[in-house]
Amino acid sequence: MTIWLIIIAAGLGTYLIRLSGILLLRDEERIPVPVRRALRHVGPAAMGAIIASALFLDHGQWRALGAWHLAALVAIGVALWRRSQGWSMLAGGLAFAVLIAAGLS
Amino acid sequence: MESFGARARAGCTLAPCHTRRVSPTPAQPRSRAVLGIGRQQWTDAWAGCKAISPLMVGSAMFGLAFGALVNVAGINPWAGASASVIVVAGASQFAMVEAIRANAPAIIAILTAVLINARFALYSAALAPVWAAFPLRWKLLLGYLMTDQAAVTQLQWADRYPDPVARRWFALGGAFPFVAVWVVGTVVGIVLGPVIPEAWQIDFIVPLMFIAVLVPGLKKPAELVTVGVATVVVVAARALPFGLNVLLAIVVAMSAGSAFESWSDARAGRRGTPAAASGGDEVSP
Repeated sequence: MTIWLIIIAAGLGTYLIRLSGILLLRDEERIPVPVRRALRHVGPAAMGAIIASALFLDHGQWRALGAWHLAALVAIGVALWRRSQGWSMLAGGLAFAVLIAAGLS
Repeated sequence: MESFGARARAGCTLAPCHTRRVSPTPAQPRSRAVLGIGRQQWTDAWAGCKAISPLMVGSAMFGLAFGALVNVAGINPWAGASASVIVVAGASQFAMVEAIRANAPAIIAILTAVLINARFALYSAALAPVWAAFPLRWKLLLGYLMTDQAAVTQLQWADRYPDPVARRWFALGGAFPFVAVWVVGTVVGIVLGPVIPEAWQIDFIVPLMFIAVLVPGLKKPAELVTVGVATVVVVAARALPFGLNVLLAIVVAMSAGSAFESWSDARAGRRGTPAAASGGDEVSP
């Protein structure tokens, strides 16, 4: 029973968070200009934070240098070279598979 | 994708476009409707689907991993599958299952999930002007389908879809299949269990997906500053609980990127370079 309570409460809370900005900030003119300018950077800020958190940390501790970082470098390099999501994922995934198969972690 | 070039070249920036009322696409809406949806709307939705398609592989694999975790954690499979439909946010669902597994109080599990998902408030605020001209039911639906990947894709593509009708179909065409494969992946993972060996470290899909979202579009110095600051803060604040280091890093990095942009615009203004002519508040092309 508790698990259903947890899922429904977390789902409801998350849905309200998702709706917060789009329902409350209907009039763009009323958002202060500095906030509006900052919000335009949410994409790179969030992506950067999530990538760094996943690559450098593992449950709050440093992740040891290895396959994760090398494969990420490959994905970043190919993304900059081809400017393509698909090629970046393919190259990063293949590099990671090869490194793992070679015994790195 | 070529047919959208003309729209892109119209060079419409966000600010003036969403306030203008654009009438629904006039091109033969009734005659070729499929499932009550016009042909042009299918085209826009398909473009949205294509824009997010490489990431759908990641969504499915991450769903598979979540399903497998539900399976090995001995959680009610119906509840586990429902979580992917009700919460629709991977990282928070993993944290919830870990909390349940560790016999944490329900309130801690809920709080953990909600705090990890607090970043959606920032996407929501950033998407408010992009969705401003959408009907309420579309906002409620697209809000439910909001994921990091769909939100960022929509922010990246908004300028190329100035017409709100085309824009909302593009948004739905990306957001819905992305969530659908997440749910299907979860169900398959619950049924099959941990078919992917732990040694494969499937969670590498998370940074890989976000690298694929972020890096191909990286060009402006302000974006590099934003990413750099986000990286430093997320690592420096790693002791914070409930994934709050990620939230803090996003807020600090957004502000830093914005401050850098103001500074470099002002410097360009003093030198009289054309960049300053674009003015403060417009999105530079």
